[in-house]
Amino acid sequence: MTKKIFKSIFVAAMVVMLVSFVLIFGVLYIYVNKVSMNQLRMQADLAAAGVEQSGIAYLDSLDPSGYRITLIEQDGTVLYESSDADADKMENHLEREEVQEALKTGEGEAQRFSRTLLERYLYCARKLGNGNIIRLSLSQYTALRIFLTLLVPLILICIFAIFLSMLLAGRLSRRIVKPLNDVDLDHPLDNEGYDELSPLFKRINQQQTELNEQELELENKQSELDTILGNISEGMILLSADGRIVSINNAAARLLGTSHKDAGGRKIIMINRNIELQDAIDRALSGRKNERVITLKSRQYQVNASPVAGENGLRGAAIVLFDVTDKEQAESMRREFSANVSHELKTPLHAISGYAELMKDGVVREGDVVPFAQKIYKESQRAIQLVEDIISLSHLDEGADDMARVKLDVYKIVKAEAERLCGEAERAGVQLITEGEKTKMTGIPALIQQIIHNLMDNAIKYNHAGGKVTASVRSLGDEVELSVSDTGIGIPEADQQRVFERFYRVDKSHSRAIGGTGLGLSIVKHAVQIHHGRIALQSTPGEGTTITVTMPKK
Amino acid sequence: MRSNLDKQLDTLNQEMIRMGMLCETAISMSSDAVLRHDAAEAKKLPDLLEQIHDKDKQIESVCLMIILQQQPVASDLRLVSSALKMVTDMDRIGVQSNDIAEIVTMKGIEGPIDRSIPVREMADAVIHMVTAAVDAFVKRDDNMAHSVVKYDDKVDSCFDRVKEKLAEVLKRTDSVTGRDPETGLDAVAVLDILMITKYLERIGDHAVNIARWVIFSITGIDEKHEGRIT
Repeated sequence: MTKKIFKSIFVAAMVVMLVSFVLIFGVLYIYVNKVSMNQLRMQADLAAAGVEQSGIAYLDSLDPSGYRITLIEQDGTVLYESSDADADKMENHLEREEVQEALKTGEGEAQRFSRTLLERYLYCARKLGNGNIIRLSLSQYTALRIFLTLLVPLILICIFAIFLSMLLAGRLSRRIVKPLNDVDLDHPLDNEGYDELSPLFKRINQQQTELNEQELELENKQSELDTILGNISEGMILLSADGRIVSINNAAARLLGTSHKDAGGRKIIMINRNIELQDAIDRALSGRKNERVITLKSRQYQVNASPVAGENGLRGAAIVLFDVTDKEQAESMRREFSANVSHELKTPLHAISGYAELMKDGVVREGDVVPFAQKIYKESQRAIQLVEDIISLSHLDEGADDMARVKLDVYKIVKAEAERLCGEAERAGVQLITEGEKTKMTGIPALIQQIIHNLMDNAIKYNHAGGKVTASVRSLGDEVELSVSDTGIGIPEADQQRVFERFYRVDKSHSRAIGGTGLGLSIVKHAVQIHHGRIALQSTPGEGTTITVTMPKK
Repeated sequence: MRSNLDKQLDTLNQEMIRMGMLCETAISMSSDAVLRHDAAEAKKLPDLLEQIHDKDKQIESVCLMIILQQQPVASDLRLVSSALKMVTDMDRIGVQSNDIAEIVTMKGIEGPIDRSIPVREMADAVIHMVTAAVDAFVKRDDNMAHSVVKYDDKVDSCFDRVKEKLAEVLKRTDSVTGRDPETGLDAVAVLDILMITKYLERIGDHAVNIARWVIFSITGIDEKHEGRIT
């Protein structure tokens, strides 16, 4: 803008200067011409008067001082010439314009240019009384000549004028632009200077206010988003197209072993060198969505890496990490459980199928049929027991919500179970003792019965012949304590933590021989949990085991 | 032109880290294969080794390209020249990890190695060294690189203990069963374990080399030759 203003001022000054130069020159020239002509006329009148009085001798006594005086006869012959030229040899002047005019009117004037155009001649003729003509002539520089003579000073003046106008134009343009440069756009309304700009300033102010509001809103939204992203437990990473971190939340930064602040702008590989994670990122950055489970800091994480597409192709990638350790563990437990169930079911079914096949083919001797049938019966009972256990377990897994809680007497159930198991106890040579008194609690009868049954059944099965099983019920304030102790084989310390797991058996061969399913204690554990109770196990291998269940009465 | 150099150096850096990552994975997978006696894990090594070889070639060509096109000077030159040396060591780490895995697949060792022989301790130490060497490169941390150099003593002493223990095993070996009653190892397994630990010890040395080149690329001092090169 400064440049443009400078240029305009400069050009205008130049044009004005040149035009006035030419005009002044012309006016002056015309004026000088007029003055010269007047003087010439005056001189011509004087000379004519002189010659009339004193004759040609007057001319001789006259100092021409710049004028050329010529005396011409009526026929055009030159009688006298004041310049160096010889009057006799001069041509006839009759045809000259001023002479002709003087002959006719008594006065004549003319102007002629020299051949080079550098000089101009002014002529003024007067007719004397005797008919002769006296002519005065003045040579004068032409405009061109004057111009050429003055060329050097003119150029100097021009150069000076150019410099001056440049200087002034520069200053002026700067001064015009200065208020514009000094405009404070942050506070548009505080500006002084050009009134013409005030609508613009008002508009800017309005837009600035709007912009500030929008920015604030955006910031709020961003910080809101940051807070949300920062506090969720899932890891979130956004990558630019060249793989640099645009945004990473706290969870992801912690997981990759860096801090939220350090990670910005770096590539993931600079922070963490997990080959699977890197592969997932590379795939996402090449435009392929992919998912996998990776191990970071000995926990499992599901990685979802997806490309972010923009208008011009790939814009980046979004990586989400969530902890699936528990899920993976649960998954592997489920897999283990179903593998175990099929394995446990297979064993009795194989036995049943084997014996039945022999009997079907008629290769069994008459006397063996009954023992075979007994074996088939026993194995099928085991299979049934197993299926029942699994059903009650899965029922317990679902929380046993559909089972009604009622007031019941724990001791009564213990008594009843002892009676039911007394046959078995007798066969094993184990003495069954019940202790305690009537103790009421609210619970699910079927589950309480299952707890007592399983505990007592185990105590009988894993006992020595001649051993003892003591089941006692006590009331402890708000709680019921049920304890079953035996004098059996006991549980090694290493296994004590695990006996409540499904299908966990301390001694597999022994357990199978006595018809255990490996689910009994697991069922007990779940049933107690449903009653919000707890289980304690005390055992010394070779001496016996005591399992104590404590449940609230309500 | 210069920004082009920066770009190329960045690429070199990324590729170096990637190769380091592959090496870390290789050594931890092969030591996993040994310690858990997992032949399936061991069979993944050749694939990884191939990737390491490819990276080696790729990085070498990137380095030569930078030297030819950009004529780097000072720290840039140090980075490029040490990268050229480092990839050789990284490549060897890959090869030796693969050798360890091969021993596992040959089944000379019949099960997880008895705890009395400090193979796990040694493997952990070596993995730590490789990881720390790559970390030192990533973070441009010469202190970390120095600690890697020092850590090698631990690996060496581990190796000595392994040798002693294996000698004891051989002395105890029952002439009838051909096995040591305490650890259940036979002579073939003893030799295999010796080979594995020797490879681990070599990998430790390569990690030390990498660390030394990291120090050189940062400070310009080559510790092995105890002199300043540039």
